[in-house]
Parts: sequence; C-alpha cells; structure tokens
Amino acid sequence: MFSDFAALIVLLPVIAFVLTLFLGKKLPHGGAYLPIAAIAGSFIISAGIFLEIYPEGIVQQSIPWFSSGSSTMNMGILIDPLAIVMLLMVTFVSLLIHIYAVGYMSHDPAKSRYFAETSLFTAAMLSVILSDNILQFFISWEVVGVCSFLLIGFWYHKPSAAAAAKKAFLVTRIGDVLFLAGIVMLYVELARIIENPANAFEIGSGNFILQFKTMFEAIPLIDKTQLTYITLLFFGGAVGKSGQFPLHGWLPDAMEGPTTVSALIHAATMVTAGVYLVARTFPMFAATPDTISHGVPDALLVVAYIGGFTALFAATMGLVMNDIKRVLAYSTVSQLGYMMLALGTAGAVLGSKAVGISMFHLISHAFFKALLFLCAGSVIHAVGTNDIREMGGLFSKMKITAVTMFIAALSLAGIGIPFLNIGTAGFFSKDMIIEGAFEYGEVTGDMIPYAFAVIAALLTSIYIFRLWFMAFTGKPRSERHSHESPSVMTIPLMILAVLALFFGFSHTGFYGYVESNFELMGVDLGVHEGEPFHPSVIVILLPVIVGVVGFLIAYLIYNKRILDMSKIISSQNPLYKLLYNRYYEPKIGADLIGVKLTHDVAAQTGEFIDRKIIDGLVIDTIISSTIFKIGEVIRKMQTGVVQNYASITILGVALLLVLLRLEFGGI
Amino acid sequence: MAGLISLMILISLAGALITFLAKTREQARTVALITSIISLAIALKIFLGFDSSISTMQFVESYSWIPSIGVTLKFGLDGIGMPLVLLANIIIPLTVFFAWGETKEANRFYGLILLELTGVMGVFTSLDFFVFYIFWEIVLIPMYFLISIWGGPRKEYAAIKFFIYTHVASLVMLLAIFALYFNSLGITGRASFDMFELLKSYQVMDGDLIRGVISLKDAVFLGLLFGFIVKMPAVPFHTWLPDAHVEAPTAGSVILAALLLKMGGYGLFRVILPILPFSDSKGIMITLMAIIGVVSILYGTFLALAQRDLKKMVAYSSISHMGYVTLGAAALVPLSVSGAMYQQFSHGLITGILFMSCGVIQHSAGTRIIHDLGGIAKYMPKLTFVMLLGFLASLGLPGMSGFIAEFLVLVNSYFTLPTFVILALFGIVFTAGYHLWAMQRAVFGTYNEKLGHIHDGANYEIASMAILVLLVLYFGLNPNPVLNMMTVNAEQLVKFAVGLRGVMI
Repeated sequence: MFSDFAALIVLLPVIAFVLTLFLGKKLPHGGAYLPIAAIAGSFIISAGIFLEIYPEGIVQQSIPWFSSGSSTMNMGILIDPLAIVMLLMVTFVSLLIHIYAVGYMSHDPAKSRYFAETSLFTAAMLSVILSDNILQFFISWEVVGVCSFLLIGFWYHKPSAAAAAKKAFLVTRIGDVLFLAGIVMLYVELARIIENPANAFEIGSGNFILQFKTMFEAIPLIDKTQLTYITLLFFGGAVGKSGQFPLHGWLPDAMEGPTTVSALIHAATMVTAGVYLVARTFPMFAATPDTISHGVPDALLVVAYIGGFTALFAATMGLVMNDIKRVLAYSTVSQLGYMMLALGTAGAVLGSKAVGISMFHLISHAFFKALLFLCAGSVIHAVGTNDIREMGGLFSKMKITAVTMFIAALSLAGIGIPFLNIGTAGFFSKDMIIEGAFEYGEVTGDMIPYAFAVIAALLTSIYIFRLWFMAFTGKPRSERHSHESPSVMTIPLMILAVLALFFGFSHTGFYGYVESNFELMGVDLGVHEGEPFHPSVIVILLPVIVGVVGFLIAYLIYNKRILDMSKIISSQNPLYKLLYNRYYEPKIGADLIGVKLTHDVAAQTGEFIDRKIIDGLVIDTIISSTIFKIGEVIRKMQTGVVQNYASITILGVALLLVLLRLEFGGI
Repeated sequence: MAGLISLMILISLAGALITFLAKTREQARTVALITSIISLAIALKIFLGFDSSISTMQFVESYSWIPSIGVTLKFGLDGIGMPLVLLANIIIPLTVFFAWGETKEANRFYGLILLELTGVMGVFTSLDFFVFYIFWEIVLIPMYFLISIWGGPRKEYAAIKFFIYTHVASLVMLLAIFALYFNSLGITGRASFDMFELLKSYQVMDGDLIRGVISLKDAVFLGLLFGFIVKMPAVPFHTWLPDAHVEAPTAGSVILAALLLKMGGYGLFRVILPILPFSDSKGIMITLMAIIGVVSILYGTFLALAQRDLKKMVAYSSISHMGYVTLGAAALVPLSVSGAMYQQFSHGLITGILFMSCGVIQHSAGTRIIHDLGGIAKYMPKLTFVMLLGFLASLGLPGMSGFIAEFLVLVNSYFTLPTFVILALFGIVFTAGYHLWAMQRAVFGTYNEKLGHIHDGANYEIASMAILVLLVLYFGLNPNPVLNMMTVNAEQLVKFAVGLRGVMI
C-alpha cells in the first residue's frame, strides 16, 4: 500500500519547497511547518514501506524519460534494504533538524528562504537515495550540490559565506565531472555490449540502459580495464561529495552557513551521498581486476587507502581547530574516511558484508554527528561565539546540551564495553570497521589501513573530548550571560541522544538485512564472501582502549591542565603551524590552482591572444585597416550601409562568375 | 490561401512595416507584441500538426518566383527547422515584452525586432538556396541598425565589425552556393536552386579549385563551413561577437545570441552534415570540426573567466556553449547530433535569461563591470532569483535544459570522438567556476555603497525572464516534445556517415 506512494517521498518536500518559497513569508515561522509536515510525511511513507517490504521485499517502479534512440533513459524508484535504511535515517534526522531550526532560525528575517532551501535539499537527497538509475542519481546529486551552494551561502551578504559557497560547489564539481565522465564511459560501454550480437545481452522489458540492475547484469561483459576506470571515476565523484582527500577542503569552509545547515550537510544529506554511491555500485567496485595487490580489486584498494588516509589526515587537523564547528567538520571528513575504509578493506575480504558495515557506521554517525552539530548550535546560540577558547564552564548553565553532547562524544569516540556487547552506537559501528581493516590486513598482509584506523580512533577521542572539556568545564572565559536553549531545540537533542546511545544494539539485524541487498537484487557479486572471523582479544579491545586513552589525555590536558598547552600552541612550532594552516590546502587549492593558474595564467593568456593576436594582429590590421576604412569612407559619404552591402554582393557575384568561367570553361 | 509558414513570415513582415509607421511608442510596442504573439500562435499550430515520426519536409509550399534561373519560393519544415522556428517565436514576443520600456525611436526599434523574426523564420524554413541566402542577409541588416542606433559608446566600431565579419562569411558561402548551382546546372542542364537538389549534386561534383592543392569539393565544403561557423561563432572567427554584444542594446543581444547564432548551427545540420560524407577529405573535415568545437568550448570558457564586463562574460559563454553544437555535429552519432540540435534550442532560451539579467543590471546599477558591482542581491532580490536560475542552467545544472543537451552530446560523441569528449569535460569545472565567481562578486557579498540607490528589475522584465526560466526547467525535465522532433532527422543525417565512425580518431 505504502509502496504505491513511494514517489511522494521525494515529491512532498519538493511541493513544500515551492510553497514555502512563494508563500513562506506570509506564514508563521517562515512557513517552517510546510517542510516539517512534508518531511514527516516522507518519513511515515518510508517507515510504512519498510514494514511492508522487510525482510526481503524490493520496490521497483520505472517510467521512460527521454529516448536516446535505441536506448531509453528512465526515471524510477528502487527501494531495497540499502535505500530504505538511508531513507529512514535521512527523513528522520532531517525532520529533527527542521524542528530544531524553528527555534534556531527564529530571529532570521530570511527564514522562509531557509526552510524552502532545506526542503529542496532534503528532497534532492531523497531522490539520490531512491534513484534506480545512475543518471537520475547524478541529476539529484547535482541538485544536492546546488542546494548546498545556496545554503552555505545563505548569509550571502557575508563575503566569507559567498566564497565558501562557491568553493563548496566548485570543489565538489571537480568530483562531479569525474563522475559524469564515468557515466559517459559506462554508457558507451553498455551500448557497445548491447549492440554486439555476440554478447546476446538484452535489456529486459521494463528495464533501461542506465539502471543499476542493467549495469550489474552487464558487469561480466564489461572490459576489465574499462571497469576500473569507470569505478575510479565514480569514486572521484564520491571523493568530492564526501570530502575525501584531496577534495576535502570545502567541507570545513562550509561552516559559513547556519549551524542547522551544517548539521544537515554533515549528518543526513550530501556528504553521505558519496559513500552511498560507492555502496550502491559496490558490485562494480568488487568486480575490478586485482592488478596491484593480489586478491584485492584495484578499485577497492584505492577506496581503502583514500578512506583510511582521510580518516587519519582529517583527525590531525581536528586536534588544533578552535572553531567548534570546524572541529566537527574535520570529524565528519574523518568519519566519512572510515566509511570508505570499510567499503575498501572489508569489501575486499568480506564481500557485501562491507556494505552493511559501512552503512551501519553511516547511520550511527548521522545520529551522533547531527547531535554534535545541534549541540554546537545550542552552545553558539547561547554564548554567541564559535570559538571554544571563549567558552568554558557552560555545564552548569546548559545541562541538557552538555549531557547530550557528552553522549554524542562518547558515541563518536566509540566507547563501550567489549564482550558484554554494551555500548554506544559508535562503539558497535566503528569497532566493526576497525576489525574489518584488521581482517583485511590478516588476509593480504597489508596492515597500513588498519594502522590508519587505529591511530585515527585515538585522535578522534582526543579532539572530541578536548572540545567538550573546553566548552563545558573550567571557568567561563567570556562575560556573556548564557542560558539553555528553548525546548523546541532541546527535545530533538534528547531524541538524537537516545539514538546515539542505543542504536548500536540493532547491529545484528542491520548487518544481515543490508548485506542481503545485492542478493535480493539478483546480483552475483562474484567475489569471495569471507567467513565470519574471530579476531584475538587485543584486536577487539584495542579500539576501546584507544578511545579511553584519548579521553584521559583530553581530560588531563584540558580539564586538569597538567600541561601548559600554550608552549605547544605557538607559531614557532612547525607541526602546529602545518596543522593549523590545514596543510596549506586553502593556499594550494584556492590561491594557487584557482586564482593563479586558472585565472591569472590561463584565462589572462586567452584574453591576451584574443585581444592582441586575433583582434590586434589579424582582424584589426587586416579588416579594420582595409575594409573597415572603406566602410568608414563610404559611411562618411552618407551612402547607407545597404548600398555598401549591395555593392559588395555584386562584386562577390562577379568574382564568382569569373571563377566559374575559368573553371568550367564558360556557362 | 497561403500556407501556414508563409502566413507566419508575411504577418511578421507586415507587423514590422506597420510598426515602422506607428505614430506613438504605445502603438509601436502594442503592434509588435500582438504581431509576435500571432506569429507564435501560428507556430504552435504548426507544431501541433507536426509529425515527429518522419524525417521529410512538412507543410511544404512552393511558389514560382524567377523560373529563368530556377529560383522558387519554397518553404517547409522538418525536425531541424521546427524547433528553431518555435524558439524564434518564443524569444521575440518575450524580447518585445522585456523591452517594453524602450523610449528611443520606439517605432523603428520594435519594427527591427519584428524584422529579425521575419528573417530568421525565413532562414529556418527556406528550401531554396537563393531564398535562403536572401533571408540570411536580411537578418544582418536590422541587427546592424539595432547595434548602431541603440548601442553603447563604441557602437559604430562594433556594428561595422559585426557586419563585415558576418558579411565576408556570407559572401564565401554565396560563392560555394553558386559553385553548387553551376555544378548542378552542368550535370542536369536544368537551372534550380532547390536546396536538396544542389546538396545531392555535391555527390557528383569533381574537379579541382587549385590543381594539386584543393579539390573543388573540399573548397565548396570549406566555403560553406566557413559561412556557418563564423556565424555560430567558433574560435578563431569569434571576436566580432563580444564586441557586438558589449555595444548592442539588451534586446539586440538577446536576438543575436538566441537566434542569429543558431543560424550557424542550423547550417551545419541543414547543409554541412548532408554533404560531409561525400567530401574528398571527410576524415580531415570531421577532425577539423571536432577541433573547432572543443577549442571553442575550452577557449570560450577561459575567456569568460577573464572578463571584467558581465555581458562580455556571457558573450564568451555563448561561444563555449555553441562549441557543443559543433562537437555533437562532428561526432556523427544520431544522438550526438540530436544533442547538438537540442543544445541550440536550449541555449537560445538560457542565453536570453543571461543577457536580460545583464540588461537589468546595467539599467539599474549603471554598470556591468563585475568589479564595480557587488552585493546587489540586497536591493534586487527578484532579479537575483531569476538570474541565479539562469546562471545555474547555463553552467549545465541537471534538471534544466542545458544539461540534457550537453549530456547527449558528451555521451554520444564519446563513441566516435573520445579524446575530444574528455577534453571538453575539463571545461565543465571552469564553466561552473566563471558563473559562480561572477555571481559571487557581482550579486552576493557586501553591497557596494558607491552604486547608490538601485532598484529591482521592472515587472515586465522579470516576467519575461521568469517565463524563460520556466521553459528551461520544463524542457530540462521533459525534453521529449522538442527532442522527438530532432531524433528522426538526426538519424537520417548520419545514415550516410555510419561507415565514417571513428575514421580519424
């Protein structure tokens, strides 16, 4: 019953977007109730569909869109386990963030625009999730990008916001172009496979060329080298969208938008789209040849290394940031790295289990990261600054925020009790990733991804508790009178805190359900499905140990102050400088590549060629100095241009006749 | 009773004449608007009766004109011409409405706009090369006056440069047409300017223009190609365009970019592709077109990035976008050709929004120099809204018409021209770059107080742009009504070229 209305999951927020955009100003709270009602509707439909299809149903609906000759592009919906868990998470988290925003944005004069844009943002993300084909996926993905541009630049009168919005769009656009190139190559490959009668490959009736189903069925026929290119290009798109190294720079800058936007971007929508893309096309990644490392598909190897490196790399920068939102932003980049790492490492040795592992962390991250951002918003709302050095001692003033944020931090740090299976959401999800990376190391002998994961876990724990201790404990460092936020803001915090604490217990059911995804779609992964592994005690304990150690380090330094950090934090310390300047990424990316090379060198050279060479040497010398002058003369003689034109035409025809006479010997 | 096509052309011509004679500004603009709407209504009637499943000419009408040299007034429409006739009839009423506030010599202003409609419709429907050429030249004249009377400070230079440039190109094209004519005359012994007969006679043309250097076939081909790509315009024959745009009044720019450039692309499909498979050096010609296309895409993009004048930036963006037309045509895959045709239609709509945005800004802020603007969104929220949508469409945002066109061109050209497609893909990031960078500096950020008090666009201006935005969205989500007209003809065009796929790559 609910599955008949699957399209409404996307359409409701779209309708809310249009209504809010044009009518929002006249409605109370900037029309916030429209998107809230719409997204609640999407959530209810998603939940209804989930109950209908669990445990092994799939919803597929497809209509032709536009015809590409023999092959037709379509629009469609595919709700499989992978999609439904994402749908539930996105609609639910987005709903909470929207409710919270009613309080958070209450003083903003442009709030109707805000709610319109977040509604579209959510709709686009839902459309990404629901797509049954790669083209619609890409289109929705681009709309997500535009909405992020609009929302990051929401306060467009701030030059830094306008710049950050542009950076976000352009950097992700680099990934998008790679993604598009991948689609182009895939399409051509598929069309050639279909055209070649030797393959006896046909698209079944009701199916279309760029559908995931068709893509997966064609995997055995796709040239292996091409498949590696295609998957790596797709991954390029994911790197941009999910802020992986080296396209990570836009994400921390994206903090220029309202905090609720950051929560939406970092938790529910947008950045997870990249991970979702790799998970969605996982059978293709898994089918790439293993030319570099034996038994490890090349594409997954790249995913594992980029993900693992990003997890560690971003965590190092999280250690030194003083802007509360930037710490969280680097945390997001790092955690997305974990999700990629899981797809790469576990994917290579455990097959489709990796998708379950990665998605589980994606969902649990969505809960605790949304919570962290909303808590940060609550703090910023109260103290009026983003700088954690100016906070401190807030615990007594805003207890709900402090406690819920502590829960989120515990979850991010992956604290729990091994063997008893008691722990936060992050405990279950992150442990599984680290263990997967260990298993990968055992099988392949390559322990580097595992090392990335463990060290990053230690740093994660340090930076998040540093943040918490600096904000909530110690003496207040600013004069401002701060207070707890209104209940429209604290209730979403509490709901998310409950999820960040208890979501982990669903892990067994979750893994089994999401793992069955490609099986349900009838896709043979063709890779070895690993046996359930039994790691040693130290492997199981290590993630928790580093989490606790990180907590203690942060506690001793930032609460007990046993160490004077001012000696380390100085412009003299080269390591600190490197981290604080974000490895000089803004300088290299925006200043060097963006402005110097592209604008100052390439574009200005073009301008020079145009003005000085084509126009200057050729046109203005040849045309202007001869014909142009004739034109001037004629014009001055006040004979109109029409006569001029006529005379030239006659001249031309005469010339032609002479030529033809010479050529044909008289006509 | 005349056929619908000639009725449409005659009505716009009559409307133009009445507008010229109008006594007041009110009369002139009312007549112009009503005429263009009647013409639109006829175009829609033709569109509704149009059969998208056949590639042959429809609504054909033929009247004897100068039988002694074989000139016939012959008109007809197929999937190549029909979308462009629709486009012209969408753009012209909106342009008239957008320019509702024009005060300087209103009767002549609106009359010339209608005359442009007459000219381009003639070009897109003529099936006789002689008549085609006449319309081709008729289009030049109103544009020359639009620039030289209502233009900016360097209007004289720009108008003459525009005129000479495109006129030289036309003349070269005329020479090639005459070569075809006399060739056909020599073979059949019957004088005829019938377009299809002449194009067919190209197949049996032989001889050299200069022995050992270039054959007559290649020379004719290059002559025609030159005539068309100057109009598009393609690098390196493009420098007239930015100058013309900078000086032209907004209405002139809209017509120039949305309709006149399309004549070049139309020529590629109507004339160049049918003879390409029979040219002596087809591999070289394909490669040449592909290079011109890709260089235009990339060069236009970088030049747009370098511009300080918003309108000049938009002008270079046209060069870049029209590069997709050349690339898609050169790839000779049915859907790359359809994509190229769709790009023509789509770019016509999108570029209208962009030039109108520039016009509103110039009018309100008194400058278009990006550097001197800044933060105008504060006082121009309506303009910002439509302009942003136009810019997003122009940078190829999926969901809008430009994406469908570029996607079709890129995907399908990859079959035969993979290297060129990869090069073209590089342009996409920079395309997004210059659009957003310009918006960031000109529209967003802190308001530049030096601009003083500025006001939002007039309602008729915003409404015209909003209609275009809606069309761009509509044809981005549902390309079928227009795309279906093109596909059959595109397939027909590449039928002879199948053996050519991948020749020179």
